Amino acid sequence: MSGIFAYRDGGSVVSGEGLLKGSSISVQANMSVAGWPTEAGSLALKGFKAIEDATVVKSLRDQGASIVGSTRMSELGLGLCGDEAARAVAEGFSAIALVTEHLGEARLSAAKAGLIGYKPSYGLVSRHGLLGLIPSMETIGILARSAADIATVMAAASGRDERDFSMPVEEVPDFLNGSGQPGIRTLGWIRESAACLETDDRKAFQRCLEGFAKAGLTPVEKSMKEFDLFRTVHQIIGSVEASSSAGKYDGVRFGYRTPSAKNWNEMYLKTRGEIFGPVIKPFLFQGAYYQFMEYDVFEKACRLRSHLMREVQRLLGEVDALVMPAVRRGFDPFEAASVPALYDAFLFTLPANLTGLPAVCFPFDDGGQARCPGVQIIGSRLSDAGLLALAGERMQTTTKES
Amino acid sequence: MQHEAIIGLEIHVELNCLTKMFCDCPNRPGDEPNRNTCPVCLWLPGALPRFSREALEKAAVACLALNCEIQKRSAFDQKVYYYPDLPKGYQLSQAHYPLARGGWLDVVDEKGAPKRLRIRHIHIEEDVAKLVHELEGRTPVSLVDFNRAGAPLVEIVTEPDIRSPYEAMEFIRNLRTQIRYVGSSECSMETGTMRVDANISIREQGSTAMNTKVEVKNMNSIRHLGDAIAYEIERQKASLQSGEAIVLHTRLWDPEKGVTLPMRGKFEGPCVPDPSVPEIVVSEEWIGRMRGLLPEMPALKTARFQRDYELPRELAVSLAGDRELSDYFEAVTRKSVAPRTAAHWLMTQYLPSLKERQLPIAGNPVTPDRFAGVLLRLEKDEINANAAREVLSRLFESDETPDAIIEQGGYRQVSDASSLETLVEQVLGSHPAAINDYRSGQGKALGFLIGQVMQASSGKANPRRVREILVSKLT
Repeated sequence: MSGIFAYRDGGSVVSGEGLLKGSSISVQANMSVAGWPTEAGSLALKGFKAIEDATVVKSLRDQGASIVGSTRMSELGLGLCGDEAARAVAEGFSAIALVTEHLGEARLSAAKAGLIGYKPSYGLVSRHGLLGLIPSMETIGILARSAADIATVMAAASGRDERDFSMPVEEVPDFLNGSGQPGIRTLGWIRESAACLETDDRKAFQRCLEGFAKAGLTPVEKSMKEFDLFRTVHQIIGSVEASSSAGKYDGVRFGYRTPSAKNWNEMYLKTRGEIFGPVIKPFLFQGAYYQFMEYDVFEKACRLRSHLMREVQRLLGEVDALVMPAVRRGFDPFEAASVPALYDAFLFTLPANLTGLPAVCFPFDDGGQARCPGVQIIGSRLSDAGLLALAGERMQTTTKES
Repeated sequence: MQHEAIIGLEIHVELNCLTKMFCDCPNRPGDEPNRNTCPVCLWLPGALPRFSREALEKAAVACLALNCEIQKRSAFDQKVYYYPDLPKGYQLSQAHYPLARGGWLDVVDEKGAPKRLRIRHIHIEEDVAKLVHELEGRTPVSLVDFNRAGAPLVEIVTEPDIRSPYEAMEFIRNLRTQIRYVGSSECSMETGTMRVDANISIREQGSTAMNTKVEVKNMNSIRHLGDAIAYEIERQKASLQSGEAIVLHTRLWDPEKGVTLPMRGKFEGPCVPDPSVPEIVVSEEWIGRMRGLLPEMPALKTARFQRDYELPRELAVSLAGDRELSDYFEAVTRKSVAPRTAAHWLMTQYLPSLKERQLPIAGNPVTPDRFAGVLLRLEKDEINANAAREVLSRLFESDETPDAIIEQGGYRQVSDASSLETLVEQVLGSHPAAINDYRSGQGKALGFLIGQVMQASSGKANPRRVREILVSKLT
């Protein structure tokens, strides 16, 4: 239990009236809950307590949810050091777990635990109070047993917050009354992504596609030659943004501070040398390197990001949604102990973070041949409700047939 | 070998907004340290910036006042550097897409020739915290005051069009007038609401080369700006003559010694787009609305004052250069005071009186109404100039109307012929020598006699009438 939570609410867990009446939700240790330790899995924030609730926390509580605790997490939320959030749900501590998505953390955590994991369209949920790392990609992700639970959480959590100016002004999907748009019929699958799978995984993915076809959907083969650029572009832009975001971690006002420094300059240098662990440190170094030494590479990455977004948009003009594998044999996200290993493990999930598109990942099992721990559907911007509806349908079918 | 100086200025102007740029904290940097702070401007984890519309509007009218073109799209970048005054690790600024580009201001150079100096761009940025270095007992400590953190600034970057300290000073004076006019800032170098850095290089006369520049900072008045540039030009010339290379670096002006001293290598941190503040997108219509907020600017007003009030150019420039003063002037003329009288008395009597008493134009006891009351009596010959000066001075100390002061103080001038003739007869009787002098052609004896009559009347006689009577008696 102590392995799951960084902090558990000792007070009485009272739930109020509203959409989420009776729902227990765990947050992550980088989401602000007033008075709770908010260390984001990092020495840099050791002892840091949030001053006020994150907007998402407030929204959930306003709709009757009880926030039961914050789960342990990887350093500053980059990747997954373990499956704490998934275990909080699987072992019944909370019905729902929130996980910060930088690379696909919520989706892969769900895939490993047989749960459904969801990443909203960028900007649908306020980031105010989130101790984030990659501001242009990060979102609150959600883990739950059912798509309906996620939709209810989103009905409460989504919507404009005047404290997060990065949220676009747009109409929020109607999560309670379905997608409000025609359902998903055609599913594009990208040849180049499937090619990254080993033979057994590829066969399993193909059987999933056949399973979708049996269920009345139409898989369509698509090509995207730039597929292998997603990870490179994500890494360059992500590391640059992370380097800026982590600039405030210096041990002066909060967090760990080196005990041995002769003057303030040395205090800064030694503290920053000591507070970051073996995965995040090289990542921040890379970001600083692009900032200070190779700015034009960063600019090129930004242009490529726009290009990749247009390409995905083009595909989404031809099909209703994209279907993609999530996990790969031999690349366990929980074991990823270096930046390259991280990017190997999150290869299929990070495109949604880079492009800001919504994605849902759920176990596929039609009771027959088609079985896959996590299959991923990526939709157009704000098609979130439709994606969750599709995932819900598929999972219900699974339950019925099995 | 003749050298010329190439000078460009970077001017930080603190906007006088009510709140800071990315939060609702009061924009009062001078308050007790760390009073005006919140998680956003303390840059604490989890806080996000919220861009202030007021800052955008104040910046936009300042840009328009400097003849710049507001860009339809502009965006914030993170200017990355690590220093205790910026514990966030980056400053929000606009490096790649500034709010405005391509402005200019006209100045008159030292030879009297008009010259247009171009502005490259104007961008918005947040100020950083203030470091205060003190001793606690014998231990030196550095304290951080976040009142200034997140205060709204614009930075105005000129083209390297300036050729002399004089032009730089004129440019800054003009810029200050324009920005004060639109009400975006006080632009005081003395109190720090305007900070001017100068980039200076020199080259052979006639060359088009752009040589290595040196940045000079820390000037806290327009005069120091001129002195620092003049010093730096001479220093660079001397360096060149002794064969020393000019290296890119920053120097601090030392006002005590009157020299510039090396501070550090010039550091340019990287600037990456900030993902949390959205792009600023404005419409033609919005720009038009901002333009509509501009008052009549000094150049136009000067022309109008020359045309409509028939003021000499210099007087028109002086009045129009200060928005409050010009408003005051026009309020006085609306009371039917002759514009020239009003202008002349404002510049020679009213302003010096304010300065002496350290009073502002707005809100001092001598309202345009009361001031006009004095001038109207003067114009009607009911009081003379001496009396008018005294009445004006009494107006600062009393709530009485000018009329009441004139009546009670006996300032009304004596113009009736019989009283004046009596006085003249008395004076002529006691100064026969002066009469002879006048009659033998010494014109200045008349002035003496007028003075005597004035004195005899305790200053109340109408000097014009006195002169007429004297002249008729003496010829």
